[in-house]
Amino acid sequence: MRRTKILVLVVAAALLLAASVPLLAQDSLTVLCTPQEDWCVAMTQAFQEETGISTNYVRLSSGESLARIRASQDNPEFSVWWGGPADAFIAGAEEGLLDVYMSENAEDIPEAYKDVDGSWTGVYVGALGFCSNLEILEELGVEAPTSWEALLAPELQGFVAMAHPATSGTAFTAFWTIVTLKADEFEAAEEGTGYDEEGAPTEAAVDAAFEYFAALNQNILQYTRSGSAPGTMAGQGEIAVAVIFSHDCVKLQEEGFEGILVNTFPEEGTGYEIGGMGIIKNGPEPEAARLWYDWALTAAAQEIGATVNSLQLPTNPDAAVSDLSVNLADVNTVEYNFSAAGTSRTAIVERFDAEIATAPTQ
Amino acid sequence: MQVSAATQKNPISRLWIALKKDPLFSIVLIFMLIFVFLAIILPLLSMIGASISEKGLPLFVSYLSSPVYQTIILNTLVMGALVGLVGTIVGFLFAFVQVKLNVPFKRFMHIIALIPVISPPFAVATATIVLFGRNGSISRGIFGVRYDIYGLDGLTLVMSLSFFTIAYLNLAGMMRALDPALDEAATNLGASKWRIFRTVTLPMLVPGLASSFLLLFVEAVADLGNPLVLGGNYEVLATRIYVTVIGLYDTTGAAVLSFILLVPSLTVFLVQRYWVGRASVVSVTGKPSGTPQTIDHPLVRWPLFAIVMGMCLLIVLIYGTIIHGAFVQVPGVRYDFTLDHFDFVINGIGAQAMRDTTFLSVIATPVAGLFGMIIAYLVVRKTFRGRNLLDFGTMLGIAVPGTIIGIGYVLTFNSPMTLNLPFLGEITVLPQIAGGRAFLGGALAIVIVYVVRSMPAALRTGTAALSQIDPSIEEASISLGADNAMTFRRITLPLIRPAFLAGLIYAFARSMTTISAVVFLTTPNTKIMTQQILNEVENGRYGNAFAYCVILIAIVMVAIGVMYLAIGSTTGAERNLRGGGL
Repeated sequence: MRRTKILVLVVAAALLLAASVPLLAQDSLTVLCTPQEDWCVAMTQAFQEETGISTNYVRLSSGESLARIRASQDNPEFSVWWGGPADAFIAGAEEGLLDVYMSENAEDIPEAYKDVDGSWTGVYVGALGFCSNLEILEELGVEAPTSWEALLAPELQGFVAMAHPATSGTAFTAFWTIVTLKADEFEAAEEGTGYDEEGAPTEAAVDAAFEYFAALNQNILQYTRSGSAPGTMAGQGEIAVAVIFSHDCVKLQEEGFEGILVNTFPEEGTGYEIGGMGIIKNGPEPEAARLWYDWALTAAAQEIGATVNSLQLPTNPDAAVSDLSVNLADVNTVEYNFSAAGTSRTAIVERFDAEIATAPTQ
Repeated sequence: MQVSAATQKNPISRLWIALKKDPLFSIVLIFMLIFVFLAIILPLLSMIGASISEKGLPLFVSYLSSPVYQTIILNTLVMGALVGLVGTIVGFLFAFVQVKLNVPFKRFMHIIALIPVISPPFAVATATIVLFGRNGSISRGIFGVRYDIYGLDGLTLVMSLSFFTIAYLNLAGMMRALDPALDEAATNLGASKWRIFRTVTLPMLVPGLASSFLLLFVEAVADLGNPLVLGGNYEVLATRIYVTVIGLYDTTGAAVLSFILLVPSLTVFLVQRYWVGRASVVSVTGKPSGTPQTIDHPLVRWPLFAIVMGMCLLIVLIYGTIIHGAFVQVPGVRYDFTLDHFDFVINGIGAQAMRDTTFLSVIATPVAGLFGMIIAYLVVRKTFRGRNLLDFGTMLGIAVPGTIIGIGYVLTFNSPMTLNLPFLGEITVLPQIAGGRAFLGGALAIVIVYVVRSMPAALRTGTAALSQIDPSIEEASISLGADNAMTFRRITLPLIRPAFLAGLIYAFARSMTTISAVVFLTTPNTKIMTQQILNEVENGRYGNAFAYCVILIAIVMVAIGVMYLAIGSTTGAERNLRGGGL
């Protein structure tokens, strides 16, 4: 009896041990991945197959990524950071968290989509939009919003969601879009009030954007951690309108929400993201990180997104574009000043966290 | 002064004498003391240290004086009190029906009441959104109401359903232990059943009700998973701490908030343990003299039966939704059958998470069970200085909210611990065990947290079991020539086997389902299932989350089966399995 019992335990333990591979691998790469989970899986698997380097990733939203890199800069856990709006990469480069790398493959990428000094290179682009649940809109008696003003409609109280700009690049893009629109407004009224000499929006424009988001706060149900999460909330019918990237909305439509969700754009102008990529300073696997960097800029690697319904536009002009992707040329986009956005990022998210997100709603 | 100094030898030589007298006991004791200090006390001290540092102190002022944070603190307390109240009522109803009523399906009700112990976090909250959310299949599908479940009401519902097991086990045990002779005496004196309930039963249960309330309060204010999913704009301290670390990586701010959260949790815990817990009027020394009287009045019996049965069905419905949701395309929206979610979990990143989590839990479980039993043995059977401190220190592992333990570990173990010695220079006492690039990929810190969180339950069940065993049995073993180790192994351990098994089961289930304590400790090399579930839930991919939950529940159930097979005897094990183990 005793023996059998011990045997059962030993066998069970042995099975589990056999099933668990060593927790540490040798020739490896650890990617900090910001886009959606399934794209991260597809990318790392493809890279692993191509190079034989055992590739691991952690998915964090872009604000979280920046915070994590900053916190572990003395002993970084990641080697390369792939995806998420470039603003966070610019903020990171400014703090000296990223290495400069002039990849040969970066020469193919249009100048607008990369840092000329080589601290980051764009891997995809996509426009911000509104992703709305048709049924709920009808019930509330409102049209799918086509302007930022429309989001403030009292009918939508508690029926709008966006992410928290501290954690999400999507939400920060939305914030900076409003800053830009306000700056344009001021500039149109009186020259020099919207933008300073260096072309960055003025403090007054930032304050006006905070006013807008304070008003919008009354309609927000929840600030999610991840940028794309509000889209699913809209799909589930928990909210009416989600402020997310249009490609995330298309992805949802492709994955079970067709006929339920509709994708619209604000006519005043919308922001867009350049999905960045950068090498983390003092990362544990610098060579593998460069291999990844070169590879991720190739047309083949940039076509992987479409296979998992991540329909961002590739930055490599040779990469095939899915019919489902939203073309930036078809949308009224604002003049998005990425470097000014990156520079102001930290101060803005802290202020947003203190003034808007924690403020009570009625 | 001088006299006492002369008679009292210095501590080192006293230690040496103790070591020579009973070497094994001393070594084990010292090891346990060091473990409890390093794994529980030190992280707490680091957290407190960071919060009262130069950078932290001004934050106290700004947090406590800001209306925003005052609301968050108030929210936390209100939520704790409501969950304590509702959870205790639900637990009381289950216990009352179980012990005092003669109704069918009691076994079924008992099992349903135990399910939440093995339930992963988020599962209940997510299923509740699918069922009762704004577009819920019941609230909207059947009743046509667009009910806003986000906030205090949803949280109270979900947390009460998740934690009432603690109150149920606590109160059912107490009701069983009530001496039926008192009921009989009251009946003979002409009291009606209602009068007996009001003037005999209820007053004797007051300490049990109070302690259930307090335990549920501690669980509720510590909970992270449910407020993250269902909080809406109702923010509480636990979620605030989470955003402060994950979003802003502001460990000082998080430490300050942790300190603020620690005050009510620890106060309530101390009140429960040293005041209410002690004030029990129920005599548990002997067996009850006779069988408890049941209440047969149909107007009492059937309404109560209906209420509890209704709650059982609600729980079944929620878990049914989880299982069902794992197999449909988009739970709550599109119901086409699919295995995609399992494919994503098993062939995607989930496989590693499943392996890592199970593996680390399997390591932590026996360690927690054994450490708990050893500490119980030391505390009950041995007399030494610092006995109460060892007991209290171990209990802190569960009394302190998980997020606070996590912050403590980040602050303490994210860098190697070094000592600057003369001549030898700097030597590393402890390598970096938490965070990325840590020793063993940060796995060690997670295992230790698992142990720390489950040890208190093993300690409590062990202490309870040991106090019922006459020490003369062990003395007989010693006088027959067995040493301490042999006696512990051959006499004590077999006698407390049911308690040991209960401790193991609890440890494994707790380790597999914990989130708050490990959420800051996962690294690229160590993936934890509950963290993956959180990712899926936060991104609204409920199907994947449900698939994870189903797999996680299956792993826990298989493991419980294996432990039963290996350790046997179920007698009393479930009864001793106190959720929260307090």
